[in-house]
Amino acid sequence: MTDPLIRLTGITKVLKGQQEPRTILDGVDLTVAAGESVAIVGRSGSGKSTLLSVIGLFDRADSGQYELAGQDISRLPERRAAKLRSSHFGFVFQRFFLLKHLTAAQNVAMALVNGQGWLPRRERRARVLEALDLVGIAHLAKNRPARMSGGEQQRVAIARALVRSPRVLLADEPTGALDTETGALVIDALLAATTRGCGLILVTHDRDHAARMGRILDLDAGVLTERVAA
Amino acid sequence: MRRFSGRFRSSLIIGLQGIRARKLRTLLSMVSLFLGVSAVVVVQAGASIAEKALLADLQLTDGIDGTRIVDMPPEPKAADIVISTLRGRADGVATLAVSAIVGEPGVRPVNEGGSPIDEDWGGGMVCYGDGRCEPDTSNGPEGAAIEVRLTALTGDVRVFRPFTQQSGRWLDFSTMPAMAPHLVLNQEAAKGFDRYRVPAEMRVTGASANLTPQFIGVVDDGDPQPRAYVRLDELTNWLSPASLGNGGAEMRVLLAPSTPVEQVLTTRLRGVGVETYVSTVESRKHRQKELTLMRLIFFSMAGLVLLIGVAGILNVGLATVGERIEEFALRRAVGTPRTLLAGIVLAETLLTGLLTAAAAIGVCVAGLKAVSMLIGDSEPLLHNVQFPWEAGVAGILAGIIAGVLGGFVPALRAAGIPIATVMRA
Ligand SMILES: Nc1ncnc2c1ncn2[C@@H]1O[C@H](COP(=O)(O)OP(=O)(O)OP(=O)(O)O)[C@@H](O)[C@H]1O
Ligand SMILES: [Mg+2]
Repeated sequence: MTDPLIRLTGITKVLKGQQEPRTILDGVDLTVAAGESVAIVGRSGSGKSTLLSVIGLFDRADSGQYELAGQDISRLPERRAAKLRSSHFGFVFQRFFLLKHLTAAQNVAMALVNGQGWLPRRERRARVLEALDLVGIAHLAKNRPARMSGGEQQRVAIARALVRSPRVLLADEPTGALDTETGALVIDALLAATTRGCGLILVTHDRDHAARMGRILDLDAGVLTERVAA
Repeated sequence: MRRFSGRFRSSLIIGLQGIRARKLRTLLSMVSLFLGVSAVVVVQAGASIAEKALLADLQLTDGIDGTRIVDMPPEPKAADIVISTLRGRADGVATLAVSAIVGEPGVRPVNEGGSPIDEDWGGGMVCYGDGRCEPDTSNGPEGAAIEVRLTALTGDVRVFRPFTQQSGRWLDFSTMPAMAPHLVLNQEAAKGFDRYRVPAEMRVTGASANLTPQFIGVVDDGDPQPRAYVRLDELTNWLSPASLGNGGAEMRVLLAPSTPVEQVLTTRLRGVGVETYVSTVESRKHRQKELTLMRLIFFSMAGLVLLIGVAGILNVGLATVGERIEEFALRRAVGTPRTLLAGIVLAETLLTGLLTAAAAIGVCVAGLKAVSMLIGDSEPLLHNVQFPWEAGVAGILAGIIAGVLGGFVPALRAAGIPIATVMRA
């Protein structure tokens, strides 16, 4: 049997501030297979973003084990974490985080121009256009963010997440700033990636969007539980 | 190699995108740094030019560094030995100076005692007990005559003291000695002859007759006293060498470093009981302390101005990083290593520093050229002056230092931005 894409075991994150330590993630177990889509729902402040940042190697867990495609990466130096972020993960956030002085194509290319390997200009351009095409906005390649709608901007952000063909897509409330219909389009684009074998972890407050995922997980005060289909 | 080139090209693209997105800011930090770098360039250029001028002056008056100087009391027997030892040699020149008065016979020279033309050394005044002073007329009335130090040369002294020709020509030592001695004046003497109409008749103490010299040229010898140079063999047609060694005369031999003549000369002179005083010209060494001090003072001033520039670039750099927090967090999220981001920030300010340095050097080169063209004729120090390469190096160094100092803290900041910023913004 092949290893799952992601396997978290007993992941704990404790926040040590000026006050007494607070446990944000409390023994989280999670397994995601290639091509699988998972929704994480929960109240505000329950630790959803924190969990994504641990999975996406933005941040390290305080204890527990993290395996990525069978490899234990619980303790990883920052240099190798950066490399894995580039090669294995794609990120989409509630805000789009496009650089306003760059065109859509340049914003997508940003994920390729990151010091991790080098693609010649022509190949870079081909990949960028392919990614923009996947989210249906190849015709906007030369536009700057200021001249695009929110939905278009978010799709540029998704193209940026897809351009390196990641193994896992992490999306933190990607539809939070969009109306329902535009949000549905964005979820379509994300789900399309899972058909190509990409794992998807979606944090959302929207029941309908969550229902479109393969599984739904509840995060409550740092404890993750699987919602059993009724 | 591949990895390195990928990093390098990525940082080049990211850095240029950053600069293009913030042209005005880049310009502002350049402006704040421009004065500082210019100050360093100007100070270094000034110091180099002043040092060269100072040393050039000393070369004229004392001799080029390394020249051996043999001084001796002006005794007749010493003169004979010096002349016979140095005859026809290129590695040593004897200079014998006596007083000579050129002009109307039987009058007191306008600069009695051989003083500079515009200075009165007080010679020729008689003061009485009641504090009253009046010109001393015992040597006859003041008239159209000038007293010069007449310096007889056994060879071309310019090997050791690089006089610069102002007009006419220099003494020719290769021809037969002329009957009427050829004289080359220094600038001070030429000034005197320019101002007073002086007949060309020369009185030298001990000469068999008054001479009629021919003036053939003017040189700058760095001497404030009026002087005239003459071939020794042209003077000795009229004057026995022994009488050159009279009271008031000076005798000095200039020698190339480590020539055997020195040994021979001093031994022979000691044989007849004449003591010699030998020294070496070391202008650079003697002036080193003053020069270093001068540099130190000016450089601390320039450094202060530069520091203000660095503060400016630092200020702009920190503001820029503050503005780019999201961009940097995002770039780290897509896998850009933090060292690369720090490097890009540093490279951007470094580039700003270098561009500023280039601009400052360009402006200073042009400025120096303009100044030299405008007032170079009246100010010999600035005549035809070249931009010293040391100043260019100093400017580039200042640019690099300012870039590194001003970019270091912003670079650290940029590297320290947590990626999670993008999730909580
Ligand atoms: N850097 C931080 N400093 C202080 N507290 C933090 C920090 N990061 C997270 N927290 C706390 O950790 C808890 C979990 O935060 P997290 O952002 O993961 O919640 P969330 O489930 O994503 O909430 P939301 O749905 O509002 O985005 C919150 O109570 C938050 O206050
Ligand atoms: Mg959140």
